[in-house]
Amino acid sequence: MSKGLQDIARELLEKGEVQVVVGWGAVKADPDRTRPILVTDPDEVGELVWNPRCVNNLAVYLTKAKSDVQALGKAAIVAKGCDVKAITGLIQEMQFSRDDLVIIGVACKGVVSDGSLWQGELTEENRDLKCRFCDVRTPRTYDHLVGEEVPPVDAEDDWKDVRELEEKTPRERWDYWQEQFERCIRCYACRQACPFCYCTRCIADKTLPRWIESGQHPRANLAWNIIRAMHLAGRCVECGECERVCPVGIPLNLLNRELAKEVAVEYGYRAGYDSEAPPPFATYREEDDQSFIR
Amino acid sequence: MARIGVFVCHCGKNIGATVDCERVAGEAAKIPGVVHSENYLYMCSDPGQLKIKDAIRDKKLDGVVVAACSPHMHERTFRRAVAEAGLNPYLAEMSNVREHCSWVHQDIEDGTAKAIDLVRVMVEKVKLNQPLTPIRVPVTKRALVIGGGVAGIQAALDIANGERDVILLERDPSIGGHMSQLSETFPTLDCSQCILTPKMVEVASHPRITLLTYSELEEVDGYVGNFQVKIRKKARSVDMDVCTGCGVCMEKCPVKKIPSEFNVGLSMRPAIYTPFPQAVPNVPVIDKENCIYYIKGKCKVCEKFCGPGAIRFDQEDEIVTYDVGAIVVATGYSLYSVGEKPPGSTIAGYGEYGYGNIPDVIDALQFERLASASGPTEGHMRRPSDGAEPKTVAFIQCVGSRCPEKGITYCSKICCMYTVKHAMLYKHKVHDGDAYIFYMDIRSGGKNYEEFVRRAIEEDGVVYLRGRVSRLYRKDGKVIVRGADTLSGTQVEIAADMVVTANATLAQPDSQDVAQKIGIAYDKYGFFSEKHPKLAPVETNTAGVFLAGACQAPKDIPEAVAQASGAAAKVLEMFAVDELEREPTIAVVNEDTCVACFFCKRICPYSAVEEKEIKDRDGNLIKLVSHVNEGLCQGCGLCVVACPSKSIELLGFTDEQLFAEINALAE
Ligand SMILES: Cc1cc2nc3c(=O)[nH]c(=O)nc-3n(C[C@H](O)[C@H](O)[C@H](O)COP(=O)(O)OP(=O)(O)OC[C@H]3O[C@@H](n4cnc5c(N)ncnc54)[C@H](O)[C@@H]3O)c2cc1C
Ligand code: SF4
Ligand code: SF4
Ligand code: SF4
Ligand code: SF4
Ligand code: SF4
Repeated sequence: MSKGLQDIARELLEKGEVQVVVGWGAVKADPDRTRPILVTDPDEVGELVWNPRCVNNLAVYLTKAKSDVQALGKAAIVAKGCDVKAITGLIQEMQFSRDDLVIIGVACKGVVSDGSLWQGELTEENRDLKCRFCDVRTPRTYDHLVGEEVPPVDAEDDWKDVRELEEKTPRERWDYWQEQFERCIRCYACRQACPFCYCTRCIADKTLPRWIESGQHPRANLAWNIIRAMHLAGRCVECGECERVCPVGIPLNLLNRELAKEVAVEYGYRAGYDSEAPPPFATYREEDDQSFIR
Repeated sequence: MARIGVFVCHCGKNIGATVDCERVAGEAAKIPGVVHSENYLYMCSDPGQLKIKDAIRDKKLDGVVVAACSPHMHERTFRRAVAEAGLNPYLAEMSNVREHCSWVHQDIEDGTAKAIDLVRVMVEKVKLNQPLTPIRVPVTKRALVIGGGVAGIQAALDIANGERDVILLERDPSIGGHMSQLSETFPTLDCSQCILTPKMVEVASHPRITLLTYSELEEVDGYVGNFQVKIRKKARSVDMDVCTGCGVCMEKCPVKKIPSEFNVGLSMRPAIYTPFPQAVPNVPVIDKENCIYYIKGKCKVCEKFCGPGAIRFDQEDEIVTYDVGAIVVATGYSLYSVGEKPPGSTIAGYGEYGYGNIPDVIDALQFERLASASGPTEGHMRRPSDGAEPKTVAFIQCVGSRCPEKGITYCSKICCMYTVKHAMLYKHKVHDGDAYIFYMDIRSGGKNYEEFVRRAIEEDGVVYLRGRVSRLYRKDGKVIVRGADTLSGTQVEIAADMVVTANATLAQPDSQDVAQKIGIAYDKYGFFSEKHPKLAPVETNTAGVFLAGACQAPKDIPEAVAQASGAAAKVLEMFAVDELEREPTIAVVNEDTCVACFFCKRICPYSAVEEKEIKDRDGNLIKLVSHVNEGLCQGCGLCVVACPSKSIELLGFTDEQLFAEINALAE
């Protein structure tokens, strides 16, 4: 699989169609792990790998590291279906245009984020939770595809995890999240990993007024986590990166998915599927009910 | 340290009865930064305002809080007073201790406690207020009037007579609107055309009016004082400058069987036509859908007979653009039909009245044509099925209107009056005939309206039956009318020769598209929304756009004309100055932190947000940011909420100010 990927990358670089490929490479000290790499030399495409340990959503390099990547020239990016959803959302949010980018899509049966479960292959047991509901195992858009198309997961209930949460009473849910957020150490790793948290000055860093108190007061943690989730409502593509990088293991993607379900039910909208669709929370519609303004 | 003055108003007993104003002033004096505090019976009165001005001068105030009524009522008053004393007016704010305190509390303790809180909140805000300067925008002194019914005509004439240029846009081949179709008008029975046509002619010959008929609005851009409008002049296929209006083409056109829109299907017209003989302009159009030449490529009979050679089969639609400073929307109404409605429609038809398939059941507008001397029967009462003179006529009011079960809850307002008129006209024409009116209520508010109704009943012998008609059906050449007389509690059945339904007044079917093009709001029925139902009935929420006539709500002619003159006065008021002053409470973008997601641009209802390129000295693009157009921004604040990086602030309502208010409340 990595071979097909390397051939595509070499050709793109040799023909000068792109000057840099954003992909995954093996970690030398621990070949079971991968890390993001930038390849600019056709002779180095051998470093690129694609396997179930390629967990990072590289779309984050198209926003936070935008100027660094851009400085190298036009980019190709290796992307799983969920990563492509993020790319689609970023195009929708005008962060770059589709023409600026070559997408090397990878057909994916799931990834394994938890290294302790990795035994050399992907199994039902070690597969990430997000992958159990995945409907984009073949990316929805790409210029080149690595591997054979994979049909979407036929999950019995796409929202099983969320429904379990919803079975709790509001009080229980509140307590549950309070407990979770209390552990937050405000490292902002979740923010750094998220392709959509591309604000150069996050609301968390704003003073005058300060929206979120600094320090790790439970109240401040609560404010941060709620604001993070709300800022991503209707935008988050449930790639799960925030949750993966959280050092204290807060189930952030569960909160993301709860909101995503709300948006799906109330607005009939899922993020990351259509770059032309109007984002539900940034759309003014004349026919919206205005009768309450008098 | 701030030097703020607090002025608590009693509003007579309006506030004073449920808020202890003296105590509020006393508590206000204790707030840090407040150096002056007093209460007075009427703060908005001259002596009240003088107190504010004196305090500003004597105590060197740098901020003012007036605790009184709603800023909607008196913010202008107090800001003007503050400005007169030499302080920037935007350093003054109001706390609403009337609507929010005295009017909603019964208990003086509660009312007073809340008033103290609201004053505290506003003092904290004012501490952060910045002086602002109103925005000045130039005005293009030309108006666009959309719709050439009586309302549009009146508005255009008034503006033009005020020595300003007007573009009058009408989508039909002629101006005139519904009024040109009416026979005689309540409550005076003037002949409708006789009073309307002089105005139509005046429009056509007015040097200040550019009349565009058979034309449609394509696009509106820009903002108050500076709109750019794009208009599609549809191809008439006749050269306006050459045609003499002789009408020979209409006589010769072999197509004869097109139901006339003007006569509501009661007569036929050719493919080349003017809607009615007094049309303005009196230049025909070729209806391309029905012209044999456009369908089959052969005919051109009209061209052959046209003496001056005015026919232009190759004419194409033309797009013209104008700069205008103000827009008057006067697109009028349409009439409900009892016909079956498409699936999914929120409005239902009348199966019980045969869905419009009973030939001698006509609607009110058709009756107007029947009663018109210029109509298909030259004003003689002849029913459609066999041309016989109907001896018994039933009129049914509230068809559609006030029928939640049909999907319309409102009263169409004009039907009571035109139905009396119809019954009266009928009785004047058929002396031995019987006229019955089925009604729910007789709503005859209006000058001489009730007298008009009494006249019909007492002098003309019109019979009123209170109740709804449950069924209409055809039997032996008659239309059987089954209904209830709820006053006598009996069922009635009338074998009528003809039935006239007073159908509900609806918004124009395309009103929502029109509203979206112009950027104004509409209600759930498609009528355009005024800015304030009482205090700003001709304005819309979009500055520079005004409403006239039945496009806002059902209206009769006097009301439509009055509103049109009101709209014209608003336009002339705008055009009296060279620059407009706009509230400076608009959004501004922090270009350093903006990340160009353009959520703000998407969400702005006024299209006020633009993309701006930031370039270095050599002209290379550094980044894209958002930019708010001062002229367009209405200060609604939606963008502020949508911006994830908090890069937009609303001047006068900055996040800091709002935080200060919330914090003051939380204390
Ligand atoms: C049966 C009947 C009898 C009536 N009798 C009386 C009476 O006796 N006395 C009385 O006072 N009132 C009467 N009325 C009410 C009267 O018809 C209205 O008050 C009056 O016509 C309203 O005028 P208007 O200009 O607002 O609308 P309209 O007359 O509807 O004129 C609107 C004009 O705008 C044009 N237009 C619409 N959309 C567009 C567009 N998008 N672009 C360009 N042009 C457009 C239309 O073609 C039309 O010419 C009667 C109404 C009915 C139905
Ligand atoms: S919020 Fe988390 S799951 Fe959603 S897009 Fe960002 S990183 Fe992915
Ligand atoms: S990654 Fe986890 S601990 Fe760090 S800020 Fe986010 S939620 Fe808190
Ligand atoms: S060309 Fe058309 S409009 Fe002219 S006479 Fe023939 S059918 Fe009528
Ligand atoms: S919403 Fe905020 S960050 Fe996005 S473009 Fe507008 S101002 Fe910039
Ligand atoms: S405040 Fe309202 S009108 Fe002004 S730019 Fe923002 S969204 Fe548009």
